[in-house]
Amino acid sequence: MSNAIEVKNLRKEFKVYSSRKGLKGAFRDLFTRNEKIIPAVNDINFMVKQGEMVGYIGENGAGKSTTIKMLTGILTPTSGHIVVNGMNPHKDREKFVQTIGVVFGQRSQLWWDIAVQESFRLLKKVYKVSDEQYDNHMNHVIKTLDIEPLLDKPVRKLSLGQRMRCELAAALIHNPPLLFLDEPTIGLDVLVKLKIREFLKEINEKYQTTILLTTHDLSDIEALCERVIMLDEGKVIYDGALHHLKETWGEGKEVHFQFLETVDLQSVKAATAGLPVKWEHDEKEQVFIAYIEDQDELISQLIAQIVAAYKIKDLNIHETSTEEIIRNIYEKGEVRLG
Amino acid sequence: MFYVTMLFQYMSQYMKTRLQYRTDILVEFFSDLLSQSVNLIFILVVFGHTDLLGGWTRDEIIFIYGFFLVPYAVFSAFFNIWDFNDRYIVKGELDRILTRPIHSLFQIILERLELEGLLGAITGIAVMIYAGSRMGLTLSWYDPFLFIIFVIGGALVYGGIFIILACISFWADARTSIMPMMYNISNYGRYPINIYNKIIRFVLTWILPFAFVGVYPASYFLGRHELLFYSLITPLIGVVFFTLSILLWNQGVKRYRGAGN
Repeated sequence: MSNAIEVKNLRKEFKVYSSRKGLKGAFRDLFTRNEKIIPAVNDINFMVKQGEMVGYIGENGAGKSTTIKMLTGILTPTSGHIVVNGMNPHKDREKFVQTIGVVFGQRSQLWWDIAVQESFRLLKKVYKVSDEQYDNHMNHVIKTLDIEPLLDKPVRKLSLGQRMRCELAAALIHNPPLLFLDEPTIGLDVLVKLKIREFLKEINEKYQTTILLTTHDLSDIEALCERVIMLDEGKVIYDGALHHLKETWGEGKEVHFQFLETVDLQSVKAATAGLPVKWEHDEKEQVFIAYIEDQDELISQLIAQIVAAYKIKDLNIHETSTEEIIRNIYEKGEVRLG
Repeated sequence: MFYVTMLFQYMSQYMKTRLQYRTDILVEFFSDLLSQSVNLIFILVVFGHTDLLGGWTRDEIIFIYGFFLVPYAVFSAFFNIWDFNDRYIVKGELDRILTRPIHSLFQIILERLELEGLLGAITGIAVMIYAGSRMGLTLSWYDPFLFIIFVIGGALVYGGIFIILACISFWADARTSIMPMMYNISNYGRYPINIYNKIIRFVLTWILPFAFVGVYPASYFLGRHELLFYSLITPLIGVVFFTLSILLWNQGVKRYRGAGN
């Protein structure tokens, strides 16, 4: 039971028909269609251990959702090998889905017209959960997600944030060892996001629940996942620790200075002559920016020299954000790590 | 067994949802009742002018029509899948279905229950009693049981055909307008089969066996023993078609491509 997910050479191709232009083209399409095979997921490999929280990231159309749909047994792979919770998802689908929980941020799992608790009750029957198990587990979930006051309202009357919390609770009714979250925080406000993150952390600790999470919001990933798998055009381009990604790709730090007196670029350069610093002057904001390697020694040396030479008004140290790192990676293509 | 409990769970849920809208259900009940009685009057008016059609008397034709309404009512209560393509494929609702531990088709049937459809059966039975009493039909003790078996057989035929049609959505991208057309064809099963030409008769018996929903099983009760063979294989045809449709469905689900986000 050490590996929750094992994926080997997984591939999913879609046939795409492109239509030709104009009426004449439409007639030609009737007889011969332009057929193109597009690999949405292109021979990917990875493994996820029981109890891990993994962020699965990529641009739109990179193949995230397709992978998740194969892992949850919704789609049949074109080729390759998947074992999730020791089973083949699309073979024993009905037995398999008993062991997973799924939340699709953009699609509701609950019944629109009926009260939340009725949905829960029905799902409890669907997953054959006993009363005792339900009470033990769900009372806690309901309390932590703070959805008690929502239980008797029909789903259609809930706000998005309220609904998402209920969706999450609904996905956990059978207390699955593996949870798939496809954009669970899309369109939610900060407070709800925080609550959901905290909750996910908690169930991960409490039940060793494995969580695979896709999101466009990298702060989710930063808050939750130690490991990220990055996907581009159907291929895994990075698989490893998030901090490793930052160390290798984060290009040093930025120190922003604002001075009380008028200073020009030449003189600040002169003041820090011995250091490996690149200076830039942002005229609009009246800020001088020093780019420097991420070493504590160097940074304090830089600050010391500047403060000795000029009076400063403000000082900021910026780290390259994950978002920037990821943007860099996508712009430059594949990540090559030693 | 699990599936039976689930059926009742969903049914009770369905009732609860319905009861939430109290005025709705009252209005709907009366409008259903009204449309059923309009149906009844329509049948009597239309067939009032025909005495004999292809060797069938007016009362026999009315009886067949009445019989047809019963399996049709069962079908419309349980196999409400005419919008399967829009609802489940295009909108991607099938994703959700496939992440739950119940057979996908069964879940869709459960979700789309439309129990008030069963009211149609009352009209059907009323029509049969009316026509039957005019003809002085007598019932043996086993006839009610055969009736139930034939109704289930007929509903399975109907359901099977429509499931097969729904399966087209798994293979073809485009939406098809085949469903409404099929509803029209299904109406042919309400009339005595020998008024049609040979090809249509063959189609209605073996290809789109709508004749097993109406005329074949009904003719058993009318004592039309020249069609006895067909009457008796009704449940068999129902089971065969329904099984075929499920096998096709299972293949189709594997080809499901999902909808993009």
